[in-house]
Amino acid sequence: MKRNPVFWCVTLLFLVFCFGPAWAAEVSQGNCISVNEKDKTLTIDEYDLNFTKDKPYGHPTGKNSTYNIATALIGIPPAKGDVVRISYDVKGTERIALKIMNVSKQDLKKK
Amino acid sequence: MRALVCMILALCTVISALVPAAVWAAGEKAAMLVVVADTRRVTSDIGKYFADLYNTNMWLFAVWAVVLTAGYGVFLGFSMDIIMARTGLDLKSRKIVEH
Amino acid sequence: MEHSFWYLHMPIAGVEIFWPGLVLIGFSVGTIGGFFGMGGAWMVTPGLNILGFPMAFAIGTDIAHIAGKSMVSTMRHSKFGNVDYKLGFVMLFGTMVGIEIGAQLIMWLERLGRVGPVVRWVYVGFLALISFMVFYDYYKAVQSKKAGRIDGEKGAEGITWYKTLHKINIPPMIHFKTAGFTCSAWLPIMVSFITGILAGFLGIGGGLLRMPALVYLIGCPTHIAVGTDLFEVMISGLYGAFTYTLKGRIELVAVFVMLTGAAIGAQIGTVATKYAKGYGIRIGFGCAVVACMASIILKQYGFDVSAAVVILGAISLICVYIISIMLKGAAAELRDKKERERAAAAFQN
Repeated sequence: MKRNPVFWCVTLLFLVFCFGPAWAAEVSQGNCISVNEKDKTLTIDEYDLNFTKDKPYGHPTGKNSTYNIATALIGIPPAKGDVVRISYDVKGTERIALKIMNVSKQDLKKK
Repeated sequence: MRALVCMILALCTVISALVPAAVWAAGEKAAMLVVVADTRRVTSDIGKYFADLYNTNMWLFAVWAVVLTAGYGVFLGFSMDIIMARTGLDLKSRKIVEH
Repeated sequence: MEHSFWYLHMPIAGVEIFWPGLVLIGFSVGTIGGFFGMGGAWMVTPGLNILGFPMAFAIGTDIAHIAGKSMVSTMRHSKFGNVDYKLGFVMLFGTMVGIEIGAQLIMWLERLGRVGPVVRWVYVGFLALISFMVFYDYYKAVQSKKAGRIDGEKGAEGITWYKTLHKINIPPMIHFKTAGFTCSAWLPIMVSFITGILAGFLGIGGGLLRMPALVYLIGCPTHIAVGTDLFEVMISGLYGAFTYTLKGRIELVAVFVMLTGAAIGAQIGTVATKYAKGYGIRIGFGCAVVACMASIILKQYGFDVSAAVVILGAISLICVYIISIMLKGAAAELRDKKERERAAAAFQN
């Protein structure tokens, strides 16, 4: 009697875990250089993972990358100069943004 | 009891007065906040799995959160029962006061 | 190095959290909740916010930990037949819709950038209500002791508002077998709706409001009210956890750390009730609520460190007190037990 629901739960969790690796996205963070409304693209100067007191979001690497933001979930619209964090999928050579977080403008730490 | 009900009503009034006042004071900006988990900083595999899920499939993440929280709650409850039974204290006569 | 040891990185909210504070809050919530029989969730949302969680994350995390905590206690009560499931399921509608409205209200405030101050001030009001209740209760107990009455709580039995409310004849009328009354389904739905909004907005279980409402407005026998309320707390916790997670406002790591602390604390708290005597400790509880309120105000005005010191200091003091009651009582009981056994053994020889 008791085994049945437990058994099904474990099976379900196992299946979910099996499919788990399918959901993985890359994340990058950087300074927004430009937003192209027409082509629906966003270019950032990527930051590294070296967080310091004066550079809490990391240091600029000088490496620019462009993202397709046509289907992305966007919070506070990013403008030039904002620090953004993007989760994205790589399809061929294109980076398709899934979610865009405006790190500097929404500053969660102050809420 | 009467005093309690009065206080609750007063609290509700305060809330209904405070919320709109505070909101109108802020006014203008109304953009949804989107959060992206920084998976670059997560080192453990399990942590990475959940942070990835947070970024890509919120529904599954929500199901996981509920199932794991409930499961862990039940696990803790039963394991605590076992541990407390071993202390040798008489726990049958205690009042059940828990919520 | 030193700094990074004391701070745990929360992957989703992206904040660094002083983890001993997190453990302490979880543990205290269990101890204080277990001891006073009243959920300690009121200190979790402000506590997490003071430790550095964004407000919406603090609420989501709080409500999820309630779900975990209430699972086992609901199972225990349902074993004793203390839960009126029909009433529970009718109330479920109101609770879920209420929680959703509360959560949407939080998200709306967040969009406007006002969630922090608004929730903090509502909490100040809410905690003022709790501390008033505690001190008033103490005052009444002292008065009735002076007057020579033994039980100070009996005065409340005269309230029979539910008799009037049962006469409201809006269909569907439902008979609740376990609780033993018939009323319009809208009465429990409205009660659960209002408590649901409060629970979703503040990240609490809502028992504080639901329990008296079940007894005085709906007319539930007290033991059924306790069980049904727990069932409702569990549902509201689970649904709240789900909806806040879906909105992306939860930190699972913190939920697990707090649940562990709460489970251990709850045992200490409930065992301590066995040995506690007198009303004095209630004053301590009231003071902890006031301290929590003061720390929220400090946080609101930007004194983050002093706010953290006040709230963590207050809850640790009250925890130490409860633990000392428990240890003294348990040691005495075990000593007595051993002595009895020794005497029995000597008698047999």
